[in-house]
Amino acid sequence: MVRAKVVIRNLTGLHLRPAGVLCNKAILYKSRIQFQTESTTANAKSVLSVLGACVKSGDEIEFICEGEDEQEALDSMIKVVSDGLGE
Amino acid sequence: MFKGTNASAGIGIGKAAVIKEVEMVIRPDKVASVETEVQRFRGALADTVAQTTVLRDDLATKVGEKEAEIMNGHLMLLADPMLTGEIEEAIKRDSICSEYAIETTCTTYADMFASMDDELMQQRATDMRDIKTRMQQVLQGIKPVDIASLPEGSVIVAKDLTPSMTAGINPANVTGIVTELGGKTSHSAILARALEIPAVVAVSNVLDHIKDGDSIVLDGSEGVVIVNPTDIETEVYAAKRNAFLQEKKELERYIGMPTMTKDGEHIELVANIGNPDDVAKVLQYDGEGVGLFRTEFLFMDRNSMPTEEEQFEAYKKVAVGLSGKPVIIRTLDIGGDKEIPYMGLAKDENPFLGYRAIRLCLDRKEDIYRPQLRALLRASHFGQIKIMIPMITCLEEIREAKALIEEIKGELDAEGIAYNKDIQVGIMVETAAASLMADVFAKEVDFFSIGTNDLTQYTMSVDRGNEKISYLYSTFNPAVLRSIRNIITCGREAGIMVGMCGEAASDPMMIPLLLAFGLNEFSMSASAILKSRKMITEYSREELQAVADKAMSFTTAKEVEDYMKEFINQ
Repeated sequence: MVRAKVVIRNLTGLHLRPAGVLCNKAILYKSRIQFQTESTTANAKSVLSVLGACVKSGDEIEFICEGEDEQEALDSMIKVVSDGLGE
Repeated sequence: MFKGTNASAGIGIGKAAVIKEVEMVIRPDKVASVETEVQRFRGALADTVAQTTVLRDDLATKVGEKEAEIMNGHLMLLADPMLTGEIEEAIKRDSICSEYAIETTCTTYADMFASMDDELMQQRATDMRDIKTRMQQVLQGIKPVDIASLPEGSVIVAKDLTPSMTAGINPANVTGIVTELGGKTSHSAILARALEIPAVVAVSNVLDHIKDGDSIVLDGSEGVVIVNPTDIETEVYAAKRNAFLQEKKELERYIGMPTMTKDGEHIELVANIGNPDDVAKVLQYDGEGVGLFRTEFLFMDRNSMPTEEEQFEAYKKVAVGLSGKPVIIRTLDIGGDKEIPYMGLAKDENPFLGYRAIRLCLDRKEDIYRPQLRALLRASHFGQIKIMIPMITCLEEIREAKALIEEIKGELDAEGIAYNKDIQVGIMVETAAASLMADVFAKEVDFFSIGTNDLTQYTMSVDRGNEKISYLYSTFNPAVLRSIRNIITCGREAGIMVGMCGEAASDPMMIPLLLAFGLNEFSMSASAILKSRKMITEYSREELQAVADKAMSFTTAKEVEDYMKEFINQ
């Protein structure tokens, strides 16, 4: 299991479009990919779960990946968030 | 005649096409084979995805990629393994039919979104209900209402339009939209405006009075719907429609023209924006810059203070987007009437007279004001940014804010960071105190911007949200007009620019008066710019003096309004 933190920089937080970009990236990996916020844990492969976490701009989240391609998955998640999730 | 909310401008004349969703009864029926039922659900899901994809592609080609985005959202939700997993789980656990499993699962999520403290998330509740209904319709073999094949000249009449219904609209055949529910910012209203179809929404109980095929006239500018109009009414509205279309064409001619009065005075015609993305609209309507950029959006809907870096990026984006045109950025104007948990603001007994705007910012320099001012100064290197301070009531506030700005300039110099050394600093004039002290304040700042919404509220001592006393809330009240005239005169005498960023700046009855008083800059919503430019170019300041003198001789708001109405209609 590997984990790493990243801060959400999108102005409106993780709303539908950026959440979709995040999930589309997550489903490319076999590993289980989750992220933790202060109050909850979300499944990065489910748009509903990501939206339900209600992540806002400036929030820090921690990705936790577990599985055969975990390091690759983690690096990819950190990169897609740092790149602004398509915005 | 029915009244509703004017959601999309223009006149629509045509035959009613009443859209009724088939009522579905969803019961927790037991199923014999759970396996077969899961297969049934999966089949319906696949069909729904296929339908939605068609709608998405239609919308993308007919309207635009941006408008198709909502259907992409639906596809994402339909593809969510958690949602489909839970529905299948419910079928298996309770041996119930797919319809009921969808009903309970989707409603749970819709309720979750509806209860979130975030407008964008609340809109997702509508999406959840929309995909729920579509999956159930597929299961029940109910054809979705076929809006795409409505005949030419149809006026859509419905309780509400779901995003998937609006997606099917063919603008060549639909001349108007009337709905019982919705508001100016609901999805159907936004799409109606994008398609330039006149629309009146929130018309209560209108479905009880309209039958399929009834003749309908609607005025999307005024929010009026007439069922089975007389010949005369139809004629009047047909003329109105032609006038509207002609005016629209005529206004497009004013794109690229200078805003100059007949006697050759150049007026700055600029826009109010609340978000860096609004710059596109400013340029579309040929705004000459931005007269008010509200920065509150940066602080709302989040759990922590925006960093200096984040603010810098947002301000820079606007400055760069306007490529050299001026932008007046207002520092944080927020108080106890807004819920911003991370700021730890106590509820104010009287939020509009309380701890807000510059009062709050000067009290919390380190965590709020300094980062914002630093971000503004740094961004000033990338365009023509001016800083505007809201809710000034006394001289000390101006001096303290300016001292802080000078202090930060010193820091930036020491750090070798570039900024515009001659950045202009101005104030909102929106309190009675600032108006009375305008001659003094004018010597301390680079510009004034009159905020008429608050100035009216504070001058008349009237809460603008209170319906019972709304009759007092008029910018045409002589007390408010005297105040405005005084502010402009004081600013001109001191040789500084005086602008206005309240709603009055685009009011056709107010523009002649403001020109006569000597206002230099008019800031308004981008869509009002061309109309205002046309008006301004038709007047000369000289000729308007007599009109202003006459208007100022009246002693009640009604007399002034009646006179100005008569003047602009002559």
